[in-house]
Amino acid sequence: MSPVARNFEEIAPGRWRLDKNADRAMQADAEVFASRQILQQALDDASIEQVVNVACLPGLVGSSLAMPDIHYGYGFCIGGVAAFPADGGIVLPGGVGYDINCGVRLLASSIPVEEFTAAAESVGYAILQRIPTGLTPRSNYRLNKKEFQRVLSGGAREIIRNFSGAVADLDGIESGGCLPFDSPGVISPKAYERGAPQVGSLGSGNHFIEVQAVEEIYDLPAARVFGLEKSRVAVMIHTGSRGFGHQIASDYIETFRKRNLAGLKLRDPQLVYASISSAEGRNYLQALNAASNFAWANRQLLQEDIAAIFERILRLGRDKLGLRLVYDQAHNIAKFEKHEVAGRTAELLVHRKGATRAFPPGHPDVPEKYREVGQPVLIPGSMGSCSYVLRGTAMGAELTFSSSAHGAGRRLSRHQAVKLAAQSDIRERLRKNGVLVFSLSSQGLKEEIPEAYKNIDDVVAVTVASGISEKVARLRPLLVIKG
Amino acid sequence: MILPAGFCVTWQKMRKYETFSTSADMGIRFKGGDFRELYENALRGLNVLLFGANLRGTAGCAAVPFRFHGDGPENVLVNFLAAVLSQAYQQRKRVAAIRFGQAGRSFLDAKLLVIPCRRPPKIEIKSVTYHNLRLVEAGGLMRAAIVFDV
Repeated sequence: MSPVARNFEEIAPGRWRLDKNADRAMQADAEVFASRQILQQALDDASIEQVVNVACLPGLVGSSLAMPDIHYGYGFCIGGVAAFPADGGIVLPGGVGYDINCGVRLLASSIPVEEFTAAAESVGYAILQRIPTGLTPRSNYRLNKKEFQRVLSGGAREIIRNFSGAVADLDGIESGGCLPFDSPGVISPKAYERGAPQVGSLGSGNHFIEVQAVEEIYDLPAARVFGLEKSRVAVMIHTGSRGFGHQIASDYIETFRKRNLAGLKLRDPQLVYASISSAEGRNYLQALNAASNFAWANRQLLQEDIAAIFERILRLGRDKLGLRLVYDQAHNIAKFEKHEVAGRTAELLVHRKGATRAFPPGHPDVPEKYREVGQPVLIPGSMGSCSYVLRGTAMGAELTFSSSAHGAGRRLSRHQAVKLAAQSDIRERLRKNGVLVFSLSSQGLKEEIPEAYKNIDDVVAVTVASGISEKVARLRPLLVIKG
Repeated sequence: MILPAGFCVTWQKMRKYETFSTSADMGIRFKGGDFRELYENALRGLNVLLFGANLRGTAGCAAVPFRFHGDGPENVLVNFLAAVLSQAYQQRKRVAAIRFGQAGRSFLDAKLLVIPCRRPPKIEIKSVTYHNLRLVEAGGLMRAAIVFDV
């Protein structure tokens, strides 16, 4: 850890700043939203260095930001946010991450928790049987090239139009589940090859499907608006753009390197960037939109699969299940957004890598049905701990370009987690706590033990204390299907 | 404490390759007296992460050509290891060994000797990153560390 990184000052509760004068290369301040303990963890795992490295990038607007779930990534830290001017600014694939539009979808339901608990095991087996998880490269949906192209152009809209789903769902998806994409040529044949067979699959690692109980409501009016009711079942889906997004990120990091390497002075080669207006910058943004559309389509298909399983196992029609989309949001993405900067509205390209968009009440991009209370912010915990639903605030708009945490954030490495998991039977331990866990990979399960993550309550407490989001509800896991 | 990628104070004592973890991802450190050794040790390290084992005999292997000319050894390493991952996940094949044609600072011309995987890889490595990747040359040895997106 460099001595520079130690010079963070707490300028407000849960808000730490490193002045840009601390390091000659810094172009802007670095700010971390964290408790003292979380900041110390970030200093220990060197993720603070990554926040500082981003502050050295040219044209950064405001500060290089890190959310309370900050942890070590590659190039950018996870939980990092950086904004650049739409006009004359830069775009960097490392600021989005490899799993483009990795995100979370939350469904509410009318199912009482007790009713679900009786059928939980059967539902778990059925999901594991139906939905491809883990390393498997193939999904249940065989898309030909034309169909796949339409998914890349239409995202969740295409799934609803030609497969299944309700048009009303589109209201509850960030950007309506579709970003503009009309340049198939910007995507490599390798990306098509990796992506086409994977639409409608969960993937591995920290991806999951979780059935949860709405355990606590903190903000009743907002919870009502979001359709969340205490002691009812909710479903959370966490996945992204699978191999397709990864290939696009890899391809464009190579392209950016070829074009720009000699001219860039980077502290970390993973932070390679291009001008937004350059041909490679524009092509990357197009490809990013295609991968984002893939991810929204993917989560839409998983939602439909889960709804069909609930219908079959619980023997209830869709109306009685009341399964409805609350919100679907990306946490690895770069998007053009309008923000107030120094009293003026500016159009920015906001990079969020492991960070959630959190627009405040009244924002025009919040679905009309939620506009009065603000955008839902979904913060999943680890498989043994609760998840939270929050909402965006005006203070978040002011301090973080309307960004918030995206999860608990890892604390232990995978090696450390596996070592710790060897000491107990993780499935049995969680079962005793009322959580059923299903996974085809016991190695993957060990890597994802609850202790591998920060305490979600601490992350949410800092998020709330610093004013960047407000708590709405807490969700307790009942059934976890791990990728 | 989790050590950041590339952090290793014992390069001289280090084996030819080692694996390590960051908080979210995994990686390999490796060294070599020349580029052939460097690239081969990188392959060995990746094989340990993927299959828990080193290279094996080449009986029954098919040869897949790999040719890459890049802007430097980092560029070659990333693309070489990405090709190994592609064999593992898309082709379901394990690169058991490498036969060098030419290997240098910015190029690698080789044959990857592949054999069908009896078991799938232990983990899903999705991408090879350039994170903090810089080839260091000192004392007649070259060394580098690569972080994989897991």
